[in-house]
Amino acid sequence: MATDVQTRVVSGSRLQPHMSLWFTAREAFGIALGELRSHKLRSFLTLLGIVISTTTLIVVMAVVNGLNVYVATHVANLGTNTFVLSQMRWTHTSYKDYLEALRHSRRIEPSEFELLRNDLPGYEHMGAAASMTVPEVKYGRQVMEDTQLVGATPGMADIGQTEVAYGRYISASDILHHSLVCFIGHDLVQKLFPGADPIGNEIFVRGIPFRVIGAAKAIGTTFGQSQDNFLHIPLTTYEQMFVTRPNLNIFVQARDASQMGTLEDEARELLRVRRHIPYNEKDTFAINTSEELMETWHELTGSLFASSIGVVAVFMVIGGIVIMNIMLASVTERYHEIGIRKSLGARRRDILMQFLIESIAMAGAGGAVGVILAFVVTFLVRVLFVVASVPVTAVVIGLLLSGTAGLFFGIYPASKAARLDPIEALRREG
Amino acid sequence: MLKDEVEAVPAPREARFAVPSDGTLIRARNLWKTYSMGEAEVHALSGVSFEVRRGDYVAIMGPSGSGKSTLMNLIGCLDTPTRGEYWLNGRLVSEFSDEELAYIRNKEIGFVFQTFNLLGRSTALRNVELPLIYNGTPAVERLERAKEALARVDLATRMDHKPSELSGGQRQRVAIARALVNDPSLLLADEPTGNLDTATGLEILALFDRLHQGGNTIVVVTHESDVARHAQRVIHIRDGKIDRDEAMR
Repeated sequence: MATDVQTRVVSGSRLQPHMSLWFTAREAFGIALGELRSHKLRSFLTLLGIVISTTTLIVVMAVVNGLNVYVATHVANLGTNTFVLSQMRWTHTSYKDYLEALRHSRRIEPSEFELLRNDLPGYEHMGAAASMTVPEVKYGRQVMEDTQLVGATPGMADIGQTEVAYGRYISASDILHHSLVCFIGHDLVQKLFPGADPIGNEIFVRGIPFRVIGAAKAIGTTFGQSQDNFLHIPLTTYEQMFVTRPNLNIFVQARDASQMGTLEDEARELLRVRRHIPYNEKDTFAINTSEELMETWHELTGSLFASSIGVVAVFMVIGGIVIMNIMLASVTERYHEIGIRKSLGARRRDILMQFLIESIAMAGAGGAVGVILAFVVTFLVRVLFVVASVPVTAVVIGLLLSGTAGLFFGIYPASKAARLDPIEALRREG
Repeated sequence: MLKDEVEAVPAPREARFAVPSDGTLIRARNLWKTYSMGEAEVHALSGVSFEVRRGDYVAIMGPSGSGKSTLMNLIGCLDTPTRGEYWLNGRLVSEFSDEELAYIRNKEIGFVFQTFNLLGRSTALRNVELPLIYNGTPAVERLERAKEALARVDLATRMDHKPSELSGGQRQRVAIARALVNDPSLLLADEPTGNLDTATGLEILALFDRLHQGGNTIVVVTHESDVARHAQRVIHIRDGKIDRDEAMR
């Protein structure tokens, strides 16, 4: 039988007819859009599922993407090539984990900072800071509330944790002399010294006067919380006036990224020796890095994203089934047309292709509407709620996914159309 | 089961692709078409044999239920016979697959239907282009040939109109242009004047006469003797058999 066919093809000199795919695509696309335009309500209902799922997908990706960038720059940004030694890790996998860490750790002492500063080889900059919140900072009759009071060493500015707008930062001499000086955030400048130069004026914290020596560049807000309501004073002054044994965070900056690991190990070893920790016991302090914070964050957004995938999938399947239904109706309505096309020489695959493209075009139109809607929703989210930006990949994935749904759910109606007997199909009135 | 019956009457293998040198376009040999209605078998055609030569103008006549529609479907390669051989232009079409039949319909046959069967959404030009689309004719050539075919039926000025904007006679002329656009070896018309008034019907028949004089082979299936009168030869079908085969002119 197989050889029969072969002989026939060769000796019959049969041209393999092929339909111009581009033409079919254009025609089918035109038909699909025409159908959508002529039944507006039906089209809306047909495409609703696809639109919702595409929009959901893109908006979630946009929010996650926005938050990732946001967290990377605002929250998990410890500075270039910088790690932080502190009593505890800043993120915990569980509450039990947190309690365990609390029991086994000890605060970082100023003497330990001195040790690291003198003995840690090959670091670029090092700074230490401890902080507390004070209810009031006063200048004359002006009051600033809930200000973060930071006891800091000069290294904090070198690392880039704060930037000087004008004046100067805390100096080594300030540390040495336990000076009553302060470096203030942008909020304090605006609240306490509206339209005036703050440098040289004295502001009061718990009745103690601090002379303003410099002001920081504005940072902005993180999750709606101002990051400019702070006041830096020399660490030694902080110890003397506010907290006798402060719990320090030590910021260490490496020369470049490749030395981060070595530097972390060196610092850990120095501290373990200093604290006499036996080799088989865990650290009683922690090293925090930007990467670690981002990892924790990604775990969080990952689960958010995964759960949204479920929603997207459900809507996509619903949308696909509705499209399949509409396509089945369309095939039934157009039996006669299919018959005409077959009588003119359309093969099964031509008809199949036509209806598949129509189905893909329909779903794709839904996807396109979803993309547009996603941009609108993302804009609203950005204005009203949190940072969000639509990544290009989200648009591509959204369109591909809706098109794929159209393809998949178009297979059954299209193959039904393709299998029609031409005589039967022609007999139906068009 | 039907398949077995076909294979029970095998054609001599070497003859299957013989190109006839004697000018025969259609050779039907002992065509049977049997439908099984539950237990009973209905013979729509029982042993029809005839030949049509190139350049002939043949009418197939018969009352409804005579089997002439079935015969038309076989001639038009929309269907294959249960038994018997159907040769078209040197090919044993009765053993072709669906795919191959589609190719033959596209290449060898131009259909003209009673109800015109135009695509309502497309312009006259697009309708005429359709057969060329299905054999992959390049766009430029396609457009040229479609326009040419419309000019042949005096519709060059209406090619951007949709069927709903055309009169019945004009629609049928679009259908004829569509049938001619691929230069088929056979123009097959099924009651071409059935939906037209007498004057328009005569116009269409005059067009057929002209096409026939131009060398086209035409088979018209009809039950109107006025239509059959235009043909050179009339084959009368009754109860699935050829009743009479008469030359007219």
